[in-house]
Amino acid sequence: MTDRKDFISREKFMAELWRYKKGSVTRRHFLGVTGLGLATSVLGSAVPGLRRAAWAQQNIGDRVVLATWPNYHDPANFEAFTAATGAAVDVNVFGSNEEMLAKLQAGGSGWDVFVPTNYTITTYVGESLIEPLDLAKIPNYDAASYNQRFAGPGTVDGTVYAVPKNWGTTGFAVNTSQLGSLPKPTTWKEFWDITMAEFSGRTMVHDYQLTTIGNALKYYGYSFNSIDPNELADAEKLLIEAKPHLFAISSDYQPSMRSGDAWMTICWTGDGKQMNRDMPEIEYVLGKEGGELWSDFYAIPKGAPHVDAAYALINFLLDPAVNARESLFHGYPTADARVDALMPPEVLNDPILYPAQELLDALEFGAAVTLTDPNRAELMARFKSA
Amino acid sequence: MRTYAIAVYLFLYIPIGVIAIFSFNAGRHAAQFQGFSTQWYGKALSNPFVMEALQTSATVATVSAALATVAGTLAALALQGVTGRPRIIFDALIYVAVMVPGIVIGISTLIALVTLFDFLNPVLSALWPLAGAAPKLNLGTGTLIAAHGLFAMALVVIIVRARVSGMDRSLIEASADLGATPWGTFRQVTLPQIAPAILAGFLLSFTFSFDDFIIAFFVAGSETTLPIYVFSSIRRGVTPEINAIGTMVLAASLVVLIAAQAILQRGRRRET
Amino acid sequence: MAPATAWLLAMLVLPLVVVVVFSFGERAAAGGYSAAFTFENFANLGTRWAAFQNTLMLAPAGTILCLLIAYPLAYYLAIKADARWRTLLLILVIVPFWTSILIRSYAWIYLLGGQGIPKLLSTFGLGNPRLINTPFAVLTGIVYGYLPLMVFPIYVSLERLDKRLLEASADLGSPPWRSFLQVTLPLSMPGVATGCMLVFILLMGEFLIPAMLGGGKVFFVGNALVDLFLQSRNWPFGAAVAVALVVVMLVTVTLYMRLTRRWAGARDEVALM
Repeated sequence: MTDRKDFISREKFMAELWRYKKGSVTRRHFLGVTGLGLATSVLGSAVPGLRRAAWAQQNIGDRVVLATWPNYHDPANFEAFTAATGAAVDVNVFGSNEEMLAKLQAGGSGWDVFVPTNYTITTYVGESLIEPLDLAKIPNYDAASYNQRFAGPGTVDGTVYAVPKNWGTTGFAVNTSQLGSLPKPTTWKEFWDITMAEFSGRTMVHDYQLTTIGNALKYYGYSFNSIDPNELADAEKLLIEAKPHLFAISSDYQPSMRSGDAWMTICWTGDGKQMNRDMPEIEYVLGKEGGELWSDFYAIPKGAPHVDAAYALINFLLDPAVNARESLFHGYPTADARVDALMPPEVLNDPILYPAQELLDALEFGAAVTLTDPNRAELMARFKSA
Repeated sequence: MRTYAIAVYLFLYIPIGVIAIFSFNAGRHAAQFQGFSTQWYGKALSNPFVMEALQTSATVATVSAALATVAGTLAALALQGVTGRPRIIFDALIYVAVMVPGIVIGISTLIALVTLFDFLNPVLSALWPLAGAAPKLNLGTGTLIAAHGLFAMALVVIIVRARVSGMDRSLIEASADLGATPWGTFRQVTLPQIAPAILAGFLLSFTFSFDDFIIAFFVAGSETTLPIYVFSSIRRGVTPEINAIGTMVLAASLVVLIAAQAILQRGRRRET
Repeated sequence: MAPATAWLLAMLVLPLVVVVVFSFGERAAAGGYSAAFTFENFANLGTRWAAFQNTLMLAPAGTILCLLIAYPLAYYLAIKADARWRTLLLILVIVPFWTSILIRSYAWIYLLGGQGIPKLLSTFGLGNPRLINTPFAVLTGIVYGYLPLMVFPIYVSLERLDKRLLEASADLGSPPWRSFLQVTLPLSMPGVATGCMLVFILLMGEFLIPAMLGGGKVFFVGNALVDLFLQSRNWPFGAAVAVALVVVMLVTVTLYMRLTRRWAGARDEVALM
């Protein structure tokens, strides 16, 4: 983890925190050393995220429940939040947007803040499961500094329901040492063709209709989000034909790619980065025809039990300094220019995290309609049971 | 025979060995060994989410298994005297409790409880004598214990009953004839006879709850159990941190077991 | 019995009512449930026939395999093992399950994958078979995952066996296999019946082992249910599949219990003679 000079190092912070928790140092010592002390004083300006939010100095309760994705936050930031506000962050982690939606639809989640992906937000709004945001309570959200392409889906019919967290892409990862004399594939057409020939028994696709059907549609140059019955029929033909050649249908591809059992897989940014960092022969490719671009958001569900704490937490996490520490921790880029200004150049120049503009231009956001389209769901079931 | 037993234990423990080896992996992945390190033990112990999840899981598993064992054993014993329609209905319910797949029981329990709580909470607060202090029914460890315990109880009833069905009734009658109180008979005659079944039922119940993901996912409210934490981590890469937790839980249980065994042995030797 | 009944009513009957009501409903536009009365979900059950077929083949196969491997172990533990170590050995059967099932599956993915057993075999010149993501891998995972559930009930029923019976039988000149067939086996039948039923029932709803060790290419009813409830969120159809599954199980288990009871009953008389 890169330590930036403008905030206390993560290791030192954690060490101090443990000393404080064990009781070997006083709260005053802890707050002083970590710079958090100033935040709790009236003049507080050292802790980013809290300085302009005067109302956050009020009592916001002792806890806030966050539903999010795994490995998507720096725990040290939560500890800082708790030390400054007294509210402990209770983290619930999820595997997919559909799971999150299923749980909110069933009720009784008890969440205060959750992290939906772009294509689900209109559904949450339609089902009245999401609260409109009062931006006055999130002074750290500066719309002007955000890339509108990524921030846009948070606004539905002119109302802001969600503010952007991080973004990424869905491409494929290929173990180039297994290619032999083949050129490195750069398109989805090549992805499927190699799967059914040279890489037979070595390719993985997600256990997820959006990306697996979407990228099969890309083979024919159709939209990633198509629900046209004829186009879906083409995709189904390709999938059924490819199935005997697949190593697995699973969204958990890192272990098999790393062990060398699988040579190619549909892949998200973060996984592509992690595999490439440890094994440079595994390269991350964005298909030239396009594919998925996604953006995650912070939002507050209807009936959140601790609304004040929810706003305080979102505001805290959107402070550029805090957000930069988050981004350095989990490795996903933000859409906030103020955060980019704090990031080291080697991160900003990484082609996996920040792909070339012409590749980005070809990508599509997942569409809400694909989530609820019964034909896509049934196609996936037929593919898996074939 | 012994060789066979050793072979089966090897089958059971070789994967555990793999887990333990990878917990010392310097790299961050569960399937690629990149050198020796104990860093993941430090990380696991200092990760508040993991430690909290572990604590929740241990509590839920212990309490639900204990409740299920008591209720299940009592039911299995009481069932001996029940015949006719009540017996058929009770039997059917017990089997259905094991038959409904976890995902279905999870989501339907959640919906049933949310509906029930929405109805009960206003009633509770209206009836509560002190204004504003009425307890609010919510999803959490309580509902999780109730849901895990249900499946576990059915398991205990089925296992204990298999034992009870072969039990020698004449001993119980003899004990009663000799003037023993029902409690005395239970403690001195029945209990020793069914003890292995009770132990088996408790262990299976505990294990089920400690390892269950899908029911907990729905009914745990905003609580996180260890399996929920581990399962959700799939999408963004499981680190050897989870191996370290598994290895620690295992090592701790083995130490406790061996210590208990040693104490028992010494106690026995003194007796003889 | 009263607490057990109350528990069953609150935590089982209530949710079951929800499932049955749902199974006649309609999928809401954005997923979930919307109230209706239709038989359409049941009419569509045919689209999941392949999943039922797979499950009805692999679940009995897994159960029988489990039984064959578990019985000798349970026998050893209950009869041959030193009484002082018995409980410890029994608990050791279940201790591996206190790690996480996900991590155990990873261990198997590694063992069955290219770096594990196939590599070992190929260094001995025994070929390099593909093991992971095959029905074989799924069966291995099933046996591994369900062994304690089979061992425990059999152990419990064998443990009460009076060893003097076996000695008496031997004194009377009966060969060991005959005392096994006439004394031990009949006595363990309730345990065998219980173990088989538990393993079979739970296997019918299994989804994780096929997903992880079968590479998602072996599709059980459990996988269909998880997809319907958590991915496409077609809850009414999911509820209908669940109702169908429970009905299939109830029929199978009832038939099975009739058969075993008749068989065990006949045997019991032999044993009592």
